[in-house]
Amino acid sequence: MDLGTGLLAIGAGLAVGLAALATGWAQARIGSAGAGALTEKPELFGSILIMLALPETLVILGFAVAAMIILLLKAGA
Amino acid sequence: MRERIVLLPMTKVQIIGSKGKLEATLRALQRLGTVEIKDVTEHGPALVLPRMTLDQAVLAQREEIGLLVTRLESLGALLPPLAKTADLSRLYEEASLKSTEELVAEARRVLSEAGPRAQSLALRRDELEAEQASLTRYHATLRRVMPLAAGIPELGGYETVALLIERRSSGVLDLIRQQLNALTGDHFEINAQHVDQETTAAIVVFPREQSAQVNALLGRENISQLRLPKELAGVSFKEALATMAARLAAIPGEIERVREELRRLGEEWALWLALLRAALGDRLRGIEVVGQVGTTRYAFVLVGWMARRDLGALKEALAAAVGPQVLVGELDLSREEMKRAPVALANPRPVRPFEFLVALVALPRYGALDPTPLMALFMPLFFGLILGDVAYGALLLIFTVLLLRRYRQGPLRSLSQVMIVCGLWSVVFGFLFGEFLGSFGYRAFGLKPLWMERSGETLMSLLVFAVAVGVAHVMLGLVLGIWEAVQARSRRELSERLGKFIALIALFWLLAIVAERLPRELSTPAVVALIVGVALLSAPMGWLGGILGPIEALGALGNVLSYLRLAAIGLSSFYLAEVANQLYGMATNAAVGAIVAVLLHALNLALGIVSSTIQSLRLHYVEFFTKFYDSGGEPFRPFKQSGV
Repeated sequence: MDLGTGLLAIGAGLAVGLAALATGWAQARIGSAGAGALTEKPELFGSILIMLALPETLVILGFAVAAMIILLLKAGA
Repeated sequence: MRERIVLLPMTKVQIIGSKGKLEATLRALQRLGTVEIKDVTEHGPALVLPRMTLDQAVLAQREEIGLLVTRLESLGALLPPLAKTADLSRLYEEASLKSTEELVAEARRVLSEAGPRAQSLALRRDELEAEQASLTRYHATLRRVMPLAAGIPELGGYETVALLIERRSSGVLDLIRQQLNALTGDHFEINAQHVDQETTAAIVVFPREQSAQVNALLGRENISQLRLPKELAGVSFKEALATMAARLAAIPGEIERVREELRRLGEEWALWLALLRAALGDRLRGIEVVGQVGTTRYAFVLVGWMARRDLGALKEALAAAVGPQVLVGELDLSREEMKRAPVALANPRPVRPFEFLVALVALPRYGALDPTPLMALFMPLFFGLILGDVAYGALLLIFTVLLLRRYRQGPLRSLSQVMIVCGLWSVVFGFLFGEFLGSFGYRAFGLKPLWMERSGETLMSLLVFAVAVGVAHVMLGLVLGIWEAVQARSRRELSERLGKFIALIALFWLLAIVAERLPRELSTPAVVALIVGVALLSAPMGWLGGILGPIEALGALGNVLSYLRLAAIGLSSFYLAEVANQLYGMATNAAVGAIVAVLLHALNLALGIVSSTIQSLRLHYVEFFTKFYDSGGEPFRPFKQSGV
């Protein structure tokens, strides 16, 4: 494995890893606020679930980028 | 207004009758339980009638019934819970046929006969429990001090106190010794010992005439004395300990006797109490509803929503219960007024368990499309696509069958029914992907994929498939949205949704050209389509459309890409299963390897069930519903008897 391939692999890892961190950070904030809101208004469960699920798109897009890099690697190999 | 699919068609009715028949009418409506009574003044310009005011006698009756219901509730709380009785509904029917005056008199009788007895028993039980708790505490502390007291002779004219000091402050004992020496001149005795990790106990004996000074000294030094209960004051520690032990042995029996009496009282009264409480609660709601009824000099006018299919039954029931002095008529409402109708979902039985998943976000507005059937079709499909394992699916089916046997009603039963369909799809996709605990099925009994395996090798195909599912689902949402906009004659929504639809097609068209799947010559019509789509999307937004339109178009593309999770999460679940299998292969001890593998598979199954549910729900709520779903409906709450 050459240096370029290794760097691409690290890039793929960073793409999904950093996106996951960002999602986690956003979900932590939404989750804590949501848990607080739920104690007051349990009927908001559905809306809070949606809000909690929104940042997951970030990590999915991170995964898409990582998958593209991996496919690029395979095509190059 | 033309009624549309699946939501129960509603109608607004007006019931008019002579004032003398109002109570009978309300009773009949409550027993029928099919009309949601609305405030007559909120109806709109067609009916401008004053609301009926309650006279003093009725107000007094309302107050009395309210008080009686509260007292019956508190009496019910003192008695053991009501056991299920087979003919409860028949008894409730009988109770609800009685007149309000009879019910009130009966409630008073029950409260006067059972109330004082239940209260005194409950008070006695509480006292005994409090005594038990307090004596247990005293007894435990005294037992720790006893070894010290045993070494001290009991002398007349001397007082004995026990002290409990934190071990880290036990230096204070020297200070007390000095002070006592100064006070009593060596006529005292202190015996101290560590009784546990945190506490030092001390017994101090001193002349009774110095009691006040010594107590003041202990108070000044902030030292807690072990004080015995009042009834044991002045008794020696040994006697107190024996008395407490005897009392502690006797209390459980006394509590049990009181409970037994309460049980007997419950058997005698609880059923009647619950029936009266429910029947009087119904009467109270009946009186409160009167405030929403309109009035003329001689007649009452009542308006309310109901399902159109129940209209015939309502007319018959009112004619039978009240007579011809009450008329029922449908109101002619505009499209805008119909939008305010309450919503009742009316799906076929297999789809019904999914209704609570839709209601979790919000009910559809009346006249809008009910997405429950679509959710019932796609949600389990997505779930199966993510989990996609024969063994996991079969285990899920077993769990849910067990849950179904346990829960006969409520949201958990609905969820279990949803999970049955999800489990079936997981098994189907398990065969398609050839997965049984990951690749264990292939190695153990040669299970091969009927369609394609899920692994790094097939990543590209999986991603393309997930995006294709996304395109189909989002496009379906947009088509439904366009249809909704046409039905509602909303140009704004039509332009937005049509623009998004065209822009999305154009974007994928361009992507296909970039990926060299379509000839480059087709790029000009694709760009034109994209411009048309974005223009349609931007048009209703005014001058902001120039910025927001392209962002919205890209947002729709993001919605489609979001379906990549179908591949991504499924693949991660497959890899976790593989880790479990490989750990089993690597372990030198087969038993340890098997335990680790089983635990990891269990974890993977739990994660798989939770994340597959959440992700497939999210794809519906965020990606699919936003394309067409018109939420904000109020649930239909008919005026009815509450039941026991």
